[in-house]
Amino acid sequence: MVSVGPSGELCEKISEISGQNPFLCMQCGTCSASCTGIGVMDLLPRQVVRMVQLGRREALACRSIWVCSSCLACTTRCPRGIDIARLMEALRAINLRRGHEVLSPERIPAALLTEVPQMAVTCAFRKLSA
Amino acid sequence: MKLPYFPGCTLYTRARGLDHSTRAALAALGIELEELPNWTCCGTAFPLAQDSYIGMVAAARILDSAAQHNGRLVTVCSFCYHVLKRVNHSIKNNAEARRKLNDYLEQGYGGETVPVHPLEILKHDVGFEALRARARGRLKGLKVACYYGCLLVRPAAEMAFDDPENPTIMEEFAAALGVEPVHFPYKTACCGSYQVLNAYDVVASRGREILAAAAAHGAQVLITSCPLCQFNLDWLQGRGEGTVLPALPVLYFTQLLGTALELPAEGLGFESHYVDPRPLLLG
Repeated sequence: MVSVGPSGELCEKISEISGQNPFLCMQCGTCSASCTGIGVMDLLPRQVVRMVQLGRREALACRSIWVCSSCLACTTRCPRGIDIARLMEALRAINLRRGHEVLSPERIPAALLTEVPQMAVTCAFRKLSA
Repeated sequence: MKLPYFPGCTLYTRARGLDHSTRAALAALGIELEELPNWTCCGTAFPLAQDSYIGMVAAARILDSAAQHNGRLVTVCSFCYHVLKRVNHSIKNNAEARRKLNDYLEQGYGGETVPVHPLEILKHDVGFEALRARARGRLKGLKVACYYGCLLVRPAAEMAFDDPENPTIMEEFAAALGVEPVHFPYKTACCGSYQVLNAYDVVASRGREILAAAAAHGAQVLITSCPLCQFNLDWLQGRGEGTVLPALPVLYFTQLLGTALELPAEGLGFESHYVDPRPLLLG
């Protein structure tokens, strides 16, 4: 698991990278209800935000941040005006900047790689590899 | 009318049908697209980390090079349009972004270029009434699901494209062609996007929901402006994972436009689809 020092530091770092105030979240769950990747997430987006508020490192180590498709449905609907997709990106960025990545070229089936539009390849590597 | 045009990488490879049909259809309507010289990839992902300016440099350079040509820059891929529009918005509204990006560009670009999508050109320059007069009625009665996906409409404040929850520009466009847009409650749902390479289950399950919703509302084809939405929804069915019978052809809106204008079908890129739309459209 990636370590970022005491719990307050994690929250501060995430606020700095995302430009968002996670403490505005009132845990309504609109983000979770709108989420594209929810079916394969370990923590609901609402729970990820709660972990960030609490400075818990589960937020950095969960699968949810890596299966987010940055579709911005949560961002568009958050009644507290939090750009939740930016919080997710900050959690990925902290991991990636320490060399922790989830996508490597050899993991992608060759049959898929020759078919998929290259925008998917560029985008996926920018989001998921260090 | 001539307008500068940024095709983007995928339109030169996997999404040639989108490029060719966009150029041909707009040309038939009196709009000539002039490709920008020396363009690069837009970056594909708008950086959501505030401190990541390097991810905006390519788009900033494209926007700046277009500023030397004309006020507007046409781009049709939803990813490209999203990135160009948001980077331009940052340059215009964020002094730090403007300063840092211009340090890279060695220019004084201030956000003068206006990225425009062909749907906007069809609505505001051609006009849907004029388009109605040009469409030949070949597709009359065809039931179409208009699929926007994520990047065209979100985030609404920066994209300023249409209502983020219930956009209607594509339905207005479809109606002008004489086809019948169906009610489609998944029109702004995400197809799973680049997760096709990482969390395939997301794309499979979301894709099936989107296709099933379109079919349940009577759609015979689905239209989009995104090469990745097109691929995910079409490829899924090509693998026999679509669960919608008959399979639903997934078209670019410009291919539907080209067909309605009775342009030669060979130039519209139908041959690369997994679900062949030709029997239905040209049959």
